[in-house]
Amino acid sequence: MNVIEIKNLTKIYNSSEVQVKAVNGISIDFKEGEFTAVVGPSGSGKTTFLNMLGGLDRPTSGDVIIGGVNIWQLSSRKLIDFRKNNIGFVFQSYNLIPVLTAGENVEFIMQLQGKPRKERDIRTKELLEAVGIGERIKARPSKLSGGQQQRVAVARALASKPEFILADEPTANLDSTSTTSLLELMSQMNKKYNTTFIFATHDQRVMDKARRIVTIEDGKILSDEYFDRD
Amino acid sequence: MFKYFKIAWRNLWRNSRRTIITSSSVFFGVFFACFMTSMQRGSFENMIGNMARFYSGYIQIQHPDHKETPSLNNSLLLSTELEEAISKNNDITHYQKRLETFALASNGEKSFPAIIFGINPQKEDKKSSLSSKVEKGKYLENNENALMIGKVLAKNLNINIGDSLILFGQGYHGVSAVNLYRVGAILDMPVPELNKSLIYMNLPDCQEYCSVNGQITSVVLMVKNTNKIKSVEASLKPFENENTKIYTWDELMPEILNLIEGKESSSAMVKSLLFMIIGFGVWATIIMLMHERKRELAVMIAIGFQKTALIFMMLIESFLIGILGILGGLGVSYGILYYLYKNPITVVGEMAETYRSMGFEPKIMFSISPEIFYNPAITVFVIFLLVSLYQIFFVAKLKVSTSIKS
Ligand SMILES: Nc1ncnc2c1ncn2[C@@H]1O[C@H](COP(=O)(O)OP(=O)(O)OP(=O)(O)O)[C@@H](O)[C@H]1O
Ligand SMILES: [Mg+2]
Repeated sequence: MNVIEIKNLTKIYNSSEVQVKAVNGISIDFKEGEFTAVVGPSGSGKTTFLNMLGGLDRPTSGDVIIGGVNIWQLSSRKLIDFRKNNIGFVFQSYNLIPVLTAGENVEFIMQLQGKPRKERDIRTKELLEAVGIGERIKARPSKLSGGQQQRVAVARALASKPEFILADEPTANLDSTSTTSLLELMSQMNKKYNTTFIFATHDQRVMDKARRIVTIEDGKILSDEYFDRD
Repeated sequence: MFKYFKIAWRNLWRNSRRTIITSSSVFFGVFFACFMTSMQRGSFENMIGNMARFYSGYIQIQHPDHKETPSLNNSLLLSTELEEAISKNNDITHYQKRLETFALASNGEKSFPAIIFGINPQKEDKKSSLSSKVEKGKYLENNENALMIGKVLAKNLNINIGDSLILFGQGYHGVSAVNLYRVGAILDMPVPELNKSLIYMNLPDCQEYCSVNGQITSVVLMVKNTNKIKSVEASLKPFENENTKIYTWDELMPEILNLIEGKESSSAMVKSLLFMIIGFGVWATIIMLMHERKRELAVMIAIGFQKTALIFMMLIESFLIGILGILGGLGVSYGILYYLYKNPITVVGEMAETYRSMGFEPKIMFSISPEIFYNPAITVFVIFLLVSLYQIFFVAKLKVSTSIKS
């Protein structure tokens, strides 16, 4: 089943004199449970692509259809609510609300969704244990390592039970041990909850874990390959 | 709701030093403004109160020309209807008929100008507790043929209790008025101007001295409290005629009103400057705070925080900064000013002379009128409203994709 359908997506930046076609007519689908890496050289348009896909950056033209909803036709308020309920985000760094503890960060998104207290508590515990931070549930982000913070970010992204999770270079600020374990974690979560993951990366180790690799260059898809991994 | 408050509260203490500095600037602004206004108002209220009690009353009835030409020819006979209306009005606490005239007071070689009030001593005492101002001698009885005079005048004339004093003046229709009186009491008035020139005597004696036939120059009214002045004035207006006009204290003492307005406008300037500085300080803090959080705010919007909720959360934080300062400032000011209001500071030495020469009682008085406190509070509140416009604008304009990159 297609979770995401993308039709002829284009983003043109009009900076001073030159026109930059950051994304230049991409059409692609993502299915439920996929674990996809979007790769390509710096400036190829990965971030721009992911941002349009996640409802953060408005396309110049083209459609992003998630679960049958054409997201760029929603009002900005509706779009924010749509993101809250359907898309999980893991950014490169500083993902968490600094004044909330690890547990509160995970719980908060469910609070925004209006989930009852009991359900929130159970799910927060479960997710933080699943990402290996169960012990540090009461720690503020500043007391956690970069790798631990990213794990909490993954837990938070999963908390809202989204259709898919977008991760833009989630390992870029991590050392190799943390990178490996974060990848291991995301791949586990992907299997355990059957959540679709799409991440942009430069990192060869991330690519090695991916079951689908989409290569972008100059805003266009250069290749789209599937791999068997276990 | 609570979830936003929790984040706002914790954000408030994230950079506790900055919060404390900003709140303190508001605190000191409010405190300084309250203190300054209270002190100024206190001395004005005291001055007006003293002038009203001992001299003008809050409302006066006079002949319409008396103010311009304060001669006995511009005197009046109080009509029985008006007197009845006055005595029936519950907001009027005291009234008293008075004959006011000028004379030269002399003792041997020495002569000084004096203002003479023909009064009813008993009534006057009820109105202004004048008997408590007796420094030497005995308070005048009704029908007693004697004078009470201001202590500076007594000193200038080198006169004491029991001595006699000659008054030279002009009576009704230009007849000359001369008579000899015994000094029964020397008064220490809280209005320096009056100490230099004041003489009281019984109204009938004064009428006789001036050769008038039951006429008076004014009826002095005291009201329950100053905010009744307008309504009492309005109730007496219908009795005005070609011989009778109603005045309120500010019409009778325009110099004082001018003085007050002048001082208040200069202190208003100081206060505006103060609050402008505080306003810019607060604004700078909020700008800094918003820019520091730019990325964090963008992440919050990305994960599903509505901008309106985010604005609400940020406003809670900035208003808490303001409220801490306002409430602290008001609380401390009220405490201190209430104490000073109850226990005014007495000025001594040279400063006291300066006060007297400027027409003030040598006491630093404080006022605790409510507007002293709510004016600065409202000003600070408005500052925070303006600053919050910036916050609203900032969040509304925040572009998530570019802010997350930064
Ligand atoms: N806000 C913007 N204004 C103008 N040009 C932009 C903007 N954002 C991106 N670009 C341009 O669009 C192109 C694609 O940028 P993008 O950030 O999507 O690349 P990327 O593949 O994510 O690169 P990297 O691997 O370095 O993160 C680049 O040429 C970039 O300069
Ligand atoms: Mg990028």
